[in-house]
Amino acid sequence: MRRVVVTGLGPVSSIGIGVRAFEAGLRAGRSGVGDITAFDPTGFPRTRAGEVTAFRPRELLRVLDADRWGRSACFAAAAARLAVADAGLSEVDLRDASVVVGTTSGESKVIEEFGRRVAGEGFAAVPAALAEQLPAGRLSFAVNEELGIAGESVTLATACSASNYALGYAYDAIAHGDADIVVTGGADSVCRWAHAGFVRLGAVAELECAPFDRDRTGMVTAEGGAMLVLESEEHAARRGARAYARVLGYALNCDAHHMVAPRAETIAACMRLALADAGLTPEDVDYVCAHGTGTLANDATEAEALHAAFAGRVPPVSSIKSMLGHTMGAASAFGLIAAALAIARGFLPPTINWTTPDPAMPWLDPVANRAREAKVRVAQNNGFAFGGNNAISLLGAV
Amino acid sequence: MSALSISGLGLVGPAGNTPDELVSALSTPGGPVDVTGMYEAELPGALAYALPEFSTRAELGRKGTSFFDRRTALTVIACGRALADAGVAVSEEIRDRTGIVVGTTAGSVRSSVDYAVETFTQDPPHLVNPALFPTTVMNCAAGQSAIWYGLRGVNATLAGGRTAFLSVLRYCRTLLRCGRADTLIAAAIDEFTPHAAWLTQLSGADVAPGEGGAAFVVRGAAAARGDAEVLDVRLGFCPRDTDISTALGATIRGVLDRAGLAAGEITTVASGTDDDAFKATVAALDGRAPRRLRVDEVVGDCPTAVGAVELAALLSEHRADPARDGAVSLLVARTPEGAFGVAAVRAWSRS
Amino acid sequence: MSDTEQHLAELRELVAEVLELEPEELSDTADFQEEYEADSLRAIEMLARIEKRYRVQIPQKELAGMQNLKAVYEITAAYAGWHG
Repeated sequence: MRRVVVTGLGPVSSIGIGVRAFEAGLRAGRSGVGDITAFDPTGFPRTRAGEVTAFRPRELLRVLDADRWGRSACFAAAAARLAVADAGLSEVDLRDASVVVGTTSGESKVIEEFGRRVAGEGFAAVPAALAEQLPAGRLSFAVNEELGIAGESVTLATACSASNYALGYAYDAIAHGDADIVVTGGADSVCRWAHAGFVRLGAVAELECAPFDRDRTGMVTAEGGAMLVLESEEHAARRGARAYARVLGYALNCDAHHMVAPRAETIAACMRLALADAGLTPEDVDYVCAHGTGTLANDATEAEALHAAFAGRVPPVSSIKSMLGHTMGAASAFGLIAAALAIARGFLPPTINWTTPDPAMPWLDPVANRAREAKVRVAQNNGFAFGGNNAISLLGAV
Repeated sequence: MSALSISGLGLVGPAGNTPDELVSALSTPGGPVDVTGMYEAELPGALAYALPEFSTRAELGRKGTSFFDRRTALTVIACGRALADAGVAVSEEIRDRTGIVVGTTAGSVRSSVDYAVETFTQDPPHLVNPALFPTTVMNCAAGQSAIWYGLRGVNATLAGGRTAFLSVLRYCRTLLRCGRADTLIAAAIDEFTPHAAWLTQLSGADVAPGEGGAAFVVRGAAAARGDAEVLDVRLGFCPRDTDISTALGATIRGVLDRAGLAAGEITTVASGTDDDAFKATVAALDGRAPRRLRVDEVVGDCPTAVGAVELAALLSEHRADPARDGAVSLLVARTPEGAFGVAAVRAWSRS
Repeated sequence: MSDTEQHLAELRELVAEVLELEPEELSDTADFQEEYEADSLRAIEMLARIEKRYRVQIPQKELAGMQNLKAVYEITAAYAGWHG
């Protein structure tokens, strides 16, 4: 098996576009949550979202025509542009790379527009140009097209853990010699219908997302593109590239229990599988980048699973969703970028909006409100999803 | 070394529920049926290759199914038939290492689009149906199938349109090779809804819309010989108007080389209704034109499931005809954006 | 049929549909979770249907008390003003 390293990071987020701005945002504990502008929120009892209001696709994309691709594809392609630039790779280097993108709702804004047309004038009013943009596979296709990549192009649609799945796909491809370079991550867009669904489930926060806080009121729907460049260690060394971190392993499993309610027992099993895959024990983990959506159910279940898998000795756990909101299919990839920076730069991203310990998890250190200097040798990145699709990955120091 | 071993097949759709039924449908296509009464919403045409009488409750019972969308129900059924055909009983010992990988285009478009429609017609706009929210995520069919059969292993959904099923095979091959599962169900299913029918219409397809698909039980290359082995499966992409014939041809030749196959050993090629992909395949086979398998006359336009139905048709033909034992076929697919895939499959009868 | 009987019959049908039961299988006092394998999503679905049908707003915290048909009736009646 070949070693796999992370050599490029491309965040397009509400707290910063590009690795420098994103790291500054994490360190400052910046909030990217604001009033919804992506759709008319009139009548909704919750009107906040984590939108990337500064995203100008045309400023980042060199090849794709943003009018012909959906917002999520543009997020993926723009983030990939940033990631390969950060890795110092040219188009020639990338020709035979692979692309793996995770997503929850694919082109959710296209679906929203489709629905608006159907609600207004019926199916006959749906234009072919809109229908063309609907397939979720276009998220990875957009990356290949933008970067001139001829290798395989895969979109994993495993909801909110999808970009941890993508990381695993990329890791296996490189470790087993299918590819030298994989551009991987996730993308999703804020949209009206997913916001409505989460609001209806009672899962959306009133104003801010406060994971692991006793008085947390829920998640905030959010968006963005988060892409990473993974390479075989020897490929990176040959071209003199610096690596942020190494991918140590990952695991996937399924609750097979409920579409929406997460299950601690299977999640804890997934954590154990990931540690075994990486050849690690719980004591090796210095930091957990949590799924941490800020809903009552998720955070309680995640804490229970961590407590079980780490036999009560849980390292610091923070949720960057407190800053970004829940970026859905991009969430695990943002977590990976944060974890890679934690390892490379020696700090723990904070859980902001945190005021009161939850008596159900008094042992949990959420890295409250302020980033903390720390030596991180191993970071665990959690991702859970509708469908009980659990995916957990582990990054380590190079 | 082959990539995958296939040991069971589950069919669902208008072309039949068993390999025998599919073989007879291929020789005597039933044609599309009248679907005008199926939905309240207007349809672009009166005919489709659909199951107008299909009822989730009649097939699967009431418990746990009231919030299944059609795609989910059809997937659960196909997975059950595949497990039965392979003789797999999902016991406590194997469920942690048994999983499912489903191909899709955009999930159940009816589920997500109608959710959006509700937000424009309800007042206040968030009065959507909470129980239907899980159907709007693309992994609903895979997640519900895992719940139905108790599959706690890898559960994945891949979006790739006409290449989705070949992506599924490729991912299964990687998962099994890397020891991340022992047994997987590989599936791709389409549902017939007004939304799907309009999408077929807008795509300019000259075939009526269809539904259904197939599921397969797959294991690693080292498993005992089953119904078929996938000798190799490869994916690629043709960026920026580079020539698809060249890229596809190179990939096909690579697949043959790695599998140690001569061009003349390919007896059948399936490439959907894609004439250009078929031509490129013939060119890559040194101009030898093998038999072309088309399933659109029995299942209509199935933009996601087409690859799965083609593989099901190949396996069904083999099962019915021992004289074909060991013959090799190619599955070829591509999307309008330039993604493509190729799989080489060797199959046998069960005699 | 009195208004109360009418409302109770309507709620029985609505709740049975959500719990995937026939209306006659649903007793007035049996616990949804214990007896009928209800979960939080079913509970939210039930609440959503009641709100839509009777044009009332019932806060989600009331779900904790809506564990059987009788309790569902009482709480809905309180918010819908059926007791006059």
